[in-house]
Amino acid sequence: MKNRIEEIRNAKGIRQDELAKLMGVSRQTISSLENGRYNPSIMLAYKISRYFGMTIEEVFIFDEEE
Amino acid sequence: MYYDNKRLALSIFWTILGITLIILSFTEVLQSSLYGGMGGGLTVVGVFQIIRNLRYRKDAEYKEKIDTEASDERNSFLRMKSWSWAGYITVLVEAIGAVIAMIRGQETIQMVLSFSVALIVFVYWLMYMILSRKY
Repeated sequence: MKNRIEEIRNAKGIRQDELAKLMGVSRQTISSLENGRYNPSIMLAYKISRYFGMTIEEVFIFDEEE
Repeated sequence: MYYDNKRLALSIFWTILGITLIILSFTEVLQSSLYGGMGGGLTVVGVFQIIRNLRYRKDAEYKEKIDTEASDERNSFLRMKSWSWAGYITVLVEAIGAVIAMIRGQETIQMVLSFSVALIVFVYWLMYMILSRKY
């Protein structure tokens, strides 16, 4: 699943480690999410989206072909 | 809170057990040198865990790092994935080993490996049944 975490995070001027701390996960988790190597649980996806003030669909892009 | 009193008590228990085994081995109450080695291993692990536990209680930054690592969902995913691969590889290696042992006529090794494969498959099946009721 693709996502816009890096783009939104950069627009908000937040570092990976800061976002990780706010979400209660490791910096590596944020890095893996941004690189598309790891898909988050629905809870984490919800937390990240809520923190950005967006819906899950706005942050995470579901690709039916994947 | 990852390093709670239970974990500290367990670490102290391993340390005491380890030291006891070393003493019993050195005084030759326990004959095999295996116990001395086992005691040494337990003592090292126990002491290491006690040190980590005490640091966890004093160092707020370290506590946060450990708590994050323990609850991090990607870490949990990696741990589960690693166990899963470890299981697959073990079963495969043991099954191949059992076939090789059978060809070479090593009956005891073949039997041990076959039983081990059967046990792992049984435990897997049992866990699947239990978990499928839970989730």
